[in-house]
Amino acid sequence: MKKLRLTGAAGVALAGLLVAGCGVPGAGTTASSGFDGPRITERVTPEDVAKLGDTTLRVLADAGEEDTLNALVPLYEKKYPNVKVKVTTKGFDDLMKTVVNTLSGDDAPDLAQGNQGYGTDGPLVKAGLIRPLDDVLRTYGWENFLTDGTLKQWRWSAGGTIFGAGSLYGISPVTEYVGVFYNTDKLAKLGIEPPKTYAEFTAALDKAKAAGEQPLMLGNAEKYPASQVIGLVQAQNTPSRDIRSWLAGVPGSAITDAGTVDAARTVQDWAGRGYFGPGYNGISADDAAAKFAQGQGVFYVAGSWNAPSLQESMNGRVGFTLPTRPDGTRATVGSMGLGWHIGTKTKNLTASVAFLDMLMSDEFAQNLTDVGRTPVTGHGTVKAASPVVEQVNGIGTKLLADDGQNFYLDWASTTMYDTVGAKTQDLLDRRTSPEGFANGLQDDWKAFQQKQREDAAAGAGS
Amino acid sequence: MTAVTEARTGASSPEAEVPARPRKGAVAAWASRQYWPAYLYLLPGAVFYVLFVLGPLGQTAWISLFRWDGLTEGRWAGLDNYRDLFHDGRIPSALAHSLVFVVAYAFLPVALGLVLAGLMSRIKVRGLTFFRAVLFLPQILATVVVAVSWRWIYDIDGPLNAALRAVGLGGLTRAWLGDYDTALPAVAVVGTWVMYGLCMVLFLAGVQKIPTERYEAARLDGAGPIREFFAVTLPALRGEIAIALVLTITYALRNFDLVWNTTAGGPGTSTTVPSVFIYQGAFITREVGGAAAISVCLTAVVLVVTGVVMRLVRGKED
Repeated sequence: MKKLRLTGAAGVALAGLLVAGCGVPGAGTTASSGFDGPRITERVTPEDVAKLGDTTLRVLADAGEEDTLNALVPLYEKKYPNVKVKVTTKGFDDLMKTVVNTLSGDDAPDLAQGNQGYGTDGPLVKAGLIRPLDDVLRTYGWENFLTDGTLKQWRWSAGGTIFGAGSLYGISPVTEYVGVFYNTDKLAKLGIEPPKTYAEFTAALDKAKAAGEQPLMLGNAEKYPASQVIGLVQAQNTPSRDIRSWLAGVPGSAITDAGTVDAARTVQDWAGRGYFGPGYNGISADDAAAKFAQGQGVFYVAGSWNAPSLQESMNGRVGFTLPTRPDGTRATVGSMGLGWHIGTKTKNLTASVAFLDMLMSDEFAQNLTDVGRTPVTGHGTVKAASPVVEQVNGIGTKLLADDGQNFYLDWASTTMYDTVGAKTQDLLDRRTSPEGFANGLQDDWKAFQQKQREDAAAGAGS
Repeated sequence: MTAVTEARTGASSPEAEVPARPRKGAVAAWASRQYWPAYLYLLPGAVFYVLFVLGPLGQTAWISLFRWDGLTEGRWAGLDNYRDLFHDGRIPSALAHSLVFVVAYAFLPVALGLVLAGLMSRIKVRGLTFFRAVLFLPQILATVVVAVSWRWIYDIDGPLNAALRAVGLGGLTRAWLGDYDTALPAVAVVGTWVMYGLCMVLFLAGVQKIPTERYEAARLDGAGPIREFFAVTLPALRGEIAIALVLTITYALRNFDLVWNTTAGGPGTSTTVPSVFIYQGAFITREVGGAAAISVCLTAVVLVVTGVVMRLVRGKED
């Protein structure tokens, strides 16, 4: 019986293998070696688009873009009457898990949103699923208001192995960054002016603590929010260029610099002195925003995208600031919005380019503000509905001019999101030292860079 | 089992008539005993099984031999993915967490279920069906619902901490899922809560088929309730216990949804389990080959552990 069972099991396993077909997984999709489709050399006109005849432009976007697209699509369909736009939106997690496979299918959308870094954009470029936009960038002059440092977030080598250099593969009209929200009632009660510099900010924290208030709200159950606090402090000490070089995997770069270690120590110190209140590792980011709105915490380090909802939940008793560096410039964790990409397989290239053109136009900037986004277009002509969103937009423009977008630490490798999150929780709980935190990130980076080199070598060998 | 074993030893023993090539003889004898058209009835089920269970299983095993990003052409890696697995420092602690979950998801619920079944079978409870349904409820709730509810219960301002404060134990309050020392036990308790209802219902059904004469005999022999439980109820439930253990241990080892939706493996790495790495490899870091290798190993571990349990608990029975 036992023998029969064993042979049975072996037979079952063999049958399984046979059913699997034994082909190389992913055969037929080779790594991209370059793009040889049609190029854009002149601005696309409605007449160019009309040549496509009646057509449908299919767009795959993050659920957060719904309001933007609801504003954009009617304008677009009016200007280009032969094109019907069909929008599909998905929640962020869902989109990240499916966008690569959706774009590789036969029925791929014309335009889609990815996410900067090795997790999503990397595979899209590597498999040749999205088209370089260098020609579009040049034709439309977007370089005029986006710095080289900022554009690095969509630059890739043709094989998708090197990040931060090479062709441009994405674009976005909005920026998102981490800053400091404050409860205006509490500041007034404590007699603190909204801090402008980092020194003023830390002094305000100490003063709030001395007065018996919880200086900072933090909800770190998802592991990433505390790393953004570290990033905000890190930006005070470490040059943006160094951080971005490290994210891009430039050989010889390291995150173990004094500035980063110092930032880790500062935030660990804040946690130890109770600046974040109790139980922050068990509070979700959403709950943290809700608790801050209910009056827990004087300051709240969080993404600018929280401004419209905090404005509403706090009845306008909220302000926003980004502490400046000693030289008066600004830098922080932040990037442009999720990148828009044009699929390689699109048959509607001119219509797709026209879509990006409208999205990136100065005329559309006010619409973006109206739906609560922070446009980098519009050149200061837009007016926000509430003071806090106005503060977010104003600082966002200055941040861009200062070339202070440091991107997100988790872009550095496919595993970094997890590593940064776990190491940050370890750091705050004093289970690792500030040096241990930085070294942990560096080890992950090294392992990933090693793997990238091996992959590149194997790719060249085959 | 015993009969078959005897038959086989009989065939290979010196006294047997056919000492040469005993194995072939056994197979031939086995084949001649079969009524082959009967297998036709198995065919439709077998096709589905091969297509939707064995196929993916084989495919996973095959993919585990490649370095593959899930998209572009994979690169043959042989057993490299498995070798990496053994050098992966994250795996031992994840396995240790899994062991804790096996205790909390399998052994505790079975023990609890036995106690409850013992009580309910002895005492006449009014509205037994109602209580049984209520106690079984956790089992039919979607895991995400369970996870979200418990996240709220464990919240820093949640009912658990409120209850502690109410009885003067305010010093114990904490973010249960966010604390390094309590996150793992906290998730484990949720598993016990989910699983004990299933065990109880299984055992209650088992208790009902025990002949009442046995209880009468035990009582005549002067057995008290506890003696009665160990002498009559427990041995009769061996089959149910084996089933309950197999189901719960499998659930504990492949546990993912509860962990992911309560702590996502945190704080730090204090609640990671192997399935978390499978999910990350397949969907986040796009190391599909490595994720497939963990899946294969996990499947093997589940098969071995459940096999051992079946043998230990049930072995002597058939």
